Amino acid sequence: MSAFTAVIDQLINGLTIGIVYVLLAAGLSIIFGVMDVINFAHGELFALGAYFALAVAGVQLLEGLPFHAFWISLLLAPLAVAVVGGGIERLTIRPLYGRNPLYHILLTFGLVLVFKDVIETRCCPPYFLLFRGTSRSSVSLPPMLEGQVALGAGITVATYSVFVIAAGTVVALGTWWALNNTKVGLIVRAGAQDRGMVRHLGIDIDRYYTLVFAFGSALAAVAGIVLAGRQGVFPAMGDSVIIPAFVIVVLGGLGSFRGAVVGGLGVGLIQTMLTSPPVLGEYVPSEELSGVVVFILMIIVLLARPQGLFGNPEWQSSGEEGELLTGSGEGVLGPTWRKRLGIGLVALLALVPLGVGVRYSTYVVDSLLVTMMIWALFALSLDFVLGYAGLVSLGHVLFFGVGAYTSVLVAQGKVAGLFADTPVAALLSVLGYSDSVFLALATGVGVAAVLAWVVGYLSIRVAGVYFAMITLAFAELVRNAVLKLQWAGSTDGLSTADNLDYGIFGQGIGEVGDVVLVEELTIGPVLVIGGEVHLSYYFVLVTVAGSYLLARRMMNAPFGSVLQAIRESEQRAKFLGYDTTAYKRRAFVVSGALAGLAGGLLPITTGIVLSVGPSDLHWIVSGEVIVATILGGMGTLYGPMLGAGLFVGAEELLVEYTDQWQAILGLLFVFFVIFVPRGLVSLPALLDRHLDLDLGGGGGETGADPGPAPEADADREVDD
Amino acid sequence: MAGDVTDQNAEQASPGDPTDDAGTTDGAETAGRETSTDAVLETTGLTKRFGELVAVDSVDLTVERGEFRSVIGPNGAGKTTLFDLITGALSPTSGTVTFDGEDITDLPPHVRVRRGLGRSFQITNVFGGLTVRENVRLAAQAVHREELSVLDRLFRSKERSDPVTADTERVLDRIGLADSADVRAAALAYGDRRRLEIGLVLATDPQVVLLDEPTAGMGVDETRETMSLIDEVLADRTIVLIEHDIDLVMNVSDRVTVLHGGRVLTTGTPGEVADDEEVQRAYLGGAGP
Amino acid sequence: MSGEDAADPAQGEGGPGDSDTSDRSGDRILSVEELRAGYGETEVLRGVSFDVLDGEVAALVGRNGVGKTTTLRAITGAIPARSGSIRFRGESIIGEDSVATAKRGIGLVPEERRIFPGLTVEENLRMGQLGGSETAHRREVEEVLETFGNLRERRNNRGANLSGGEQQMLAIARALVAGADLLLLDEPTEGLAPLIVESVEDVIREVNDEGISVLLVEQNVAVALDLADHVFVLDRGRIVYSGPAERLEEDGEVLDRHLGVSV
Repeated sequence: MSAFTAVIDQLINGLTIGIVYVLLAAGLSIIFGVMDVINFAHGELFALGAYFALAVAGVQLLEGLPFHAFWISLLLAPLAVAVVGGGIERLTIRPLYGRNPLYHILLTFGLVLVFKDVIETRCCPPYFLLFRGTSRSSVSLPPMLEGQVALGAGITVATYSVFVIAAGTVVALGTWWALNNTKVGLIVRAGAQDRGMVRHLGIDIDRYYTLVFAFGSALAAVAGIVLAGRQGVFPAMGDSVIIPAFVIVVLGGLGSFRGAVVGGLGVGLIQTMLTSPPVLGEYVPSEELSGVVVFILMIIVLLARPQGLFGNPEWQSSGEEGELLTGSGEGVLGPTWRKRLGIGLVALLALVPLGVGVRYSTYVVDSLLVTMMIWALFALSLDFVLGYAGLVSLGHVLFFGVGAYTSVLVAQGKVAGLFADTPVAALLSVLGYSDSVFLALATGVGVAAVLAWVVGYLSIRVAGVYFAMITLAFAELVRNAVLKLQWAGSTDGLSTADNLDYGIFGQGIGEVGDVVLVEELTIGPVLVIGGEVHLSYYFVLVTVAGSYLLARRMMNAPFGSVLQAIRESEQRAKFLGYDTTAYKRRAFVVSGALAGLAGGLLPITTGIVLSVGPSDLHWIVSGEVIVATILGGMGTLYGPMLGAGLFVGAEELLVEYTDQWQAILGLLFVFFVIFVPRGLVSLPALLDRHLDLDLGGGGGETGADPGPAPEADADREVDD
Repeated sequence: MAGDVTDQNAEQASPGDPTDDAGTTDGAETAGRETSTDAVLETTGLTKRFGELVAVDSVDLTVERGEFRSVIGPNGAGKTTLFDLITGALSPTSGTVTFDGEDITDLPPHVRVRRGLGRSFQITNVFGGLTVRENVRLAAQAVHREELSVLDRLFRSKERSDPVTADTERVLDRIGLADSADVRAAALAYGDRRRLEIGLVLATDPQVVLLDEPTAGMGVDETRETMSLIDEVLADRTIVLIEHDIDLVMNVSDRVTVLHGGRVLTTGTPGEVADDEEVQRAYLGGAGP
Repeated sequence: MSGEDAADPAQGEGGPGDSDTSDRSGDRILSVEELRAGYGETEVLRGVSFDVLDGEVAALVGRNGVGKTTTLRAITGAIPARSGSIRFRGESIIGEDSVATAKRGIGLVPEERRIFPGLTVEENLRMGQLGGSETAHRREVEEVLETFGNLRERRNNRGANLSGGEQQMLAIARALVAGADLLLLDEPTEGLAPLIVESVEDVIREVNDEGISVLLVEQNVAVALDLADHVFVLDRGRIVYSGPAERLEEDGEVLDRHLGVSV
């Protein structure tokens, strides 16, 4: 194959992937433009399209027809997905309009879990009926789409690629035409610019939302089907495209169709060109580059042009970005009661090991409770920026994961290895660096803090949804880099049986996993402890409780006050003389450090073998911690910790009792986001309103009516 | 002010507290004349365009130390935009802002505040979810920012008594909100929220205070109370007050600048301005000069 | 204000003595009674009553922050009324949202115009056509483009590329295409150069000559006096004065106290 034909081949491949991205991104972008909804479930709708196509192809009746089942599925599957999309909008997204886009992220994140479950386990009755007998994972293509087609000059390309490019182009052009030449298209474009004014003209734009969502879903389905024809159908296919699709939408400009087209083709081409070396001739780009280049591109574009390549900042001037609903000032429990309950909870946790081996297994204590506490710390770290500085970080897993990797790398001696042959090596050796759990955690905290400073420095200048996206990009950038780095274990992750010691200077009391406090305890005739109680449990308990006290202290100090002021009114804080950007950056560093600490504890305390993998850097984890934070009630510090405990506990319970745990968990989030947006801590107040409970709390706080007050001030600014 | 300063003679000297420094006395003496012996705030050729609209058009403004200056003009005259340019909320298309002899045109808002340029907002802008005390404390804390070590700033309890606490209580007393110090600001009555707004400015201890229609939306009595509050608590500072209503500023101002269509129509003593025919036309005479 | 003036707050509360609605005869296209509305804990409108006669230009004037825009928001249903009544052609429209009020023929030309910046002039007008109501005053896009010559020339330009004056014209034209019987104009002259203000005034007169009733909300008293048949003065959430424009012009007391415009 000559260099020239190789280039053509690459080009065709790039365009094929690119056009699929265009369809995906166009749907996402239109949905965002009109409704401000960031739809994380878009990737699952894409996968659903492919699975529906499989289902249609499996129907026996169709075999007598003169058309190939592929054509029928290309027609029916998008319709079916459109119906699903419309249903989602009606039932779940509709109640959330007017709230901060964060809640849409959460909601659609819950939906991702539901869809994943449905797709992976093929669980639910309708689905089961559809798929009975099909175990295939590839869409059979009609003969006319198979084989190669000659383009002349000795170049041949796969017929199917040509079909994908042609079909995608037709659909994209059709969408563009419809947006520009139909009544609905006009209303959709106007709605993307100023919804309120559309209503003032007597057009009920809400009626079009369902349609828009259904249409966007259908576009995703078409993309799913055509890609399935090329790459097969697999459960994680939604996962593999959603992040690139987001990158494209942000890169091109949220709500811009042109941006989706240019971004989609661009990213498709770049990805293909970089993954397959021959194109650039001698300059074979390094393997490491291919996964990260898109994210680097996105970060650069956002920093230079926060609204994206084709986004128009003025069009989002409707200023309808709702506020974040915090749980602060909510509880019927007064501060004194909260304090007592907090001390009670810690005391209870301290006593739990008493029943080990008698009432429950060591697993409950050493794994489940430890994981709960670590997640509580992780959620606390997020709340520090989300609940207090209003920064919606979608990349918090970055700091958590980096902390976890650091612990393992230190234990493996790889960190110390970095300094081999330098004077530092001697110091590290004296310190007993590679064995000390304290130094490992400190390193993790330090690395996470530095990383947080860099990310914060670059991204805090962009606001709202763009900040969320840029943090997501940073996290994905690092994950993709790790996937390619042998040093970091690439796709396999790292593991070592050589655990760290409680100690320093090479002196210690033993390995983290090994130090046992009590093995068996009988008081009188009663067996109180029937298994090993590890020191690590208390180590985690003290670290987490200590971190909470530290964070609370900071919130009650001048620094924390300023953060709260920024959340209330950033402009006013500036005009009191505060450099609000600097404060937000510092908060982000503190938050990153705490997340790094949580991550650092994870591998060293939950098993004999220390292990960490790329899944500890996956964006889903960022989503999970946001869910945990909201679940508990952000802006309270303790709420998110309770939320995280509940989150981990619920997962554990559900996994034990049902195969459909993901779906149930997902539905739980959906329920919470819609009905209890202020989280668990607001439940007593909610109940109070109905049951007239009196727990003697809430003293003096006028937060009894949480609803309209904060919005009112926002509204007032647009008045008169 | 009506209650405190009714004497016409006192009018000129009223903002300058007799016990204050020499600069203030200077200001009072030179009030009414366009000398700039001790100009604390000065704009030259300040211009702001929004597309084709020139909201502020080559404004030259000189405010003397200790002076009570009012900037009046019909709506759309560019008053708030002028404030935004002076305080750094907007950056000018051209022209410069000088404060205390230094060019501050390119400084961000928070740095200007730290140098001593405080402002209040026309639309009440307090921290609604925080208590009144917490609001004031934030302002006072900004002043004492430098006195605390990094560790203190991060970890020291704000409840501990220190200069910030003392300042906070003093300001709460002066604005008459000591009794409602533990109420959430959002729950205050409208007039009280406006008082808190002034309290926030006061607590940042500014040399020059820019007040943007502090009595907007107030009843007659509230308006009077607020004006005397301003006169009382900010007496030893240079004040620039934006007002829609000419009468309101007549008794308290040393000099009045009339803005119309983004330009300075005239500057003079209240008496001179009131007699100015152009000013009368600007207010009642339709589309413009 | 001198001490003596300020010492008499009773009139400031807007006693009925200032108002004079009784001798207004004719069909009322809009009547608002004892309207209360606000945001959260703040009540902005504290019992506002006024009306607009069919075919007239009524002006609602007042200083910043007294509740003018809030009044329009309550009428169009953008915010709920807490109590009181709003009738359009005799029918209560309390509780209707902005879509419903627009369909009745209430056309809003909002503050800052809010034309669709990414749509062309023609598309902006077609949005009016797609919404609105089938009233006698409803006009075709082409018809309106005939009337507004400068818009016709720029029919394929995006809204964002129009000047402030052109945007204002477009916003009015859009309401005409939507078939407004009653035009609510919120600060139509704000931020416009004096010459442009005059041409906007001319357009409002023309529109009114065709029988469309106008409720004009203004801070610029001069413009309101120029255009309006009847003027209502709003202060702190209440109507404190109602009278023919000519009478207000001579009423230094009201101008001074509530509008702060006399010298």
